[in-house]
Amino acid sequence: MDRPRSATLITRTSPKGVSVTVGQTSPGSEEIVVRNLTKHYKQLRAVDDLSFTVRSGRVTGFLGPNGAGKTTTLRMLLNLVTPTSGTATIGGQRYLELDQPIRHVGAVLEASSAHRGRTGVNHLRVICAAAGLPRERADEALALVGLTPAAKRKFKGYSLGMKQRLGIAAAMLGDPRVLILDEPANGLDPEGIRWMRDLLKALAAEGRTILVSSHLLSEMQQLADDVVIVAAGKLVRQGPVDEVLGSMGAAVQVRVRTPDPAKLTTALAAFQPSITPLPDGALLVTGMETAAIGHAAFTASVELHELTGERADLEQVFLQLTAGKAGIR
Amino acid sequence: MNLVRSELTKLRTTSTWWVFTLIMIPLWALAVLYNWGSSYATQQASTASDVPADQAEVVQVAGEAINVATTLYTSGQFLGVLLVMLLGAIIVTNEFFHQTATTTFLVSPHRERVILAKLITAVLVGLLFWLVTTVLNLIAVPFVLDALNVPVQLGEAGVWRAVGLNALAFALWAIVGVGAGVLIRSQLGATLTLSLGYVIGTMGASLVFFLLAEYVAEWFEKLQVLVPTTASALMISGTELPGNPPRWVGAAVLIGYALVTGLLGTAIMKRRDIS
Ligand SMILES: Nc1ncnc2c1ncn2[C@@H]1O[C@H](COP(=O)(O)OP(=O)(O)OP(=O)(O)O)[C@@H](O)[C@H]1O
Ligand SMILES: [Mg+2]
Repeated sequence: MDRPRSATLITRTSPKGVSVTVGQTSPGSEEIVVRNLTKHYKQLRAVDDLSFTVRSGRVTGFLGPNGAGKTTTLRMLLNLVTPTSGTATIGGQRYLELDQPIRHVGAVLEASSAHRGRTGVNHLRVICAAAGLPRERADEALALVGLTPAAKRKFKGYSLGMKQRLGIAAAMLGDPRVLILDEPANGLDPEGIRWMRDLLKALAAEGRTILVSSHLLSEMQQLADDVVIVAAGKLVRQGPVDEVLGSMGAAVQVRVRTPDPAKLTTALAAFQPSITPLPDGALLVTGMETAAIGHAAFTASVELHELTGERADLEQVFLQLTAGKAGIR
Repeated sequence: MNLVRSELTKLRTTSTWWVFTLIMIPLWALAVLYNWGSSYATQQASTASDVPADQAEVVQVAGEAINVATTLYTSGQFLGVLLVMLLGAIIVTNEFFHQTATTTFLVSPHRERVILAKLITAVLVGLLFWLVTTVLNLIAVPFVLDALNVPVQLGEAGVWRAVGLNALAFALWAIVGVGAGVLIRSQLGATLTLSLGYVIGTMGASLVFFLLAEYVAEWFEKLQVLVPTTASALMISGTELPGNPPRWVGAAVLIGYALVTGLLGTAIMKRRDIS
């Protein structure tokens, strides 16, 4: 890292007219800051006044339904798409202002590929040449993603997962402090997904900033420390995963199995829970804690065979938060 | 300059360059044969007496030894610059066809630098093609001239000036190609438009200018140099041809086209969303 980490502060006026100060809070932090970012396509606001911050040293999941504007946001962050208004900075600088950007920021994006007739290693060498990196970095990056055996094969012969790995290798060439990945798990095998999870976690533990968009919510729950959830171009929720899950505490579900479902339903009626019979004969109770259900059943002398609290998972929270928000536009 | 190195690596690591070289060689051979034939025909005509008076002068000058020599020593220009222009366009359209534009602009977000690197690369490749055809010409053409009973004339300044201006033509057409590649993003679209436009456009424009000159006003004929292929052909004539604008006009017209397409291409590329 050769860029001086000045603690420059950028003062900007928020829409409400209040002057807020955005900038690098601690030396060495490479936060991603998105402020009032907007992108209009002809009739569509693909991204609509979106603001969020991505902290370093953590993995941040960028979630949203199809067409929510995730890819568009990431491309604006990387100066590939011009915002209609608003700003996006990495470590306080716009991507365009970064000196030797791929030494600071690595990106794996959708609709990004390699020449079909070029070999994997040559694809990386082209990038090395343009970025002034030594050629050997290409071989190192290929080894990192486990692609060395296919290094001299042409890109058109690569499987989906191999293409994705090549993209990750390209992103890692400059040993960047910030990684931006758009659905990187796409096409990876289970082992590959585990490998990527470990890699991203290890990189975050080194203090790097990781922003990763994905639709695999159970994977995200294991991987991410923070989440940014968007729908229809707007921010829905941002925060640490635990906090976002916790805020949905009321939605905790409990599986109850009893030989006499009718009697239990009557016994619980006073608490006004929502009760759904499951195909396997059990009941799914929402709106009550396990203890309260157990107590009510005990008082009414209802026999229970199973009583399992299911903590709300990211998938449920996500569906709940984005329900009713326009999906594909 | 790293970006130029990167662009050259891009070219080197795909089959494009040798495919173009393979196409180039037979086309060059055809061009030499064609020029041989037409020079022979001109020679016959300039000694014949049944040529209309107003054309006689042109035919006679064209039949002069120096002009036969410059035509032959620059054989392969017409199709050579077409190939160079196509290659220049493909350098750009490739990035969209293979979706590598994202990576390219991530590495270098200053897009004008990328376009500049592509322009330089295209010019270098154009000059390489010029060098190859010129070396082939220098080897083969003396035999052709001998057969035509025309001196070899490798000591003539006019020959070397034509060969030098031919290099300029190759370089300028390469620039036009890059600019056109930005304007027409589709690989197939650019290739088809440019080759058809080049061949049919040249013939069509000659016809249009011929009709305008014939039926509207004679001075239209002087404007024919505005057709880019005419401009590059003018640049390599050995002596000034009567009734034709001077050589530097051809160069100026071609530089104009190169500037316009190059600058327009850069401006468009800077604003375009890559997705
Ligand atoms: N170049 C474009 N022209 C017009 N509309 C576009 C363009 N790019 C994206 N859009 C629209 O903007 C919206 C957001 O698209 P975007 O690709 O950012 O969504 P996303 O969140 O990445 O979706 P997904 O999860 O399916 O990848 C979509 O409705 C899309 O149709
Ligand atoms: Mg997307």
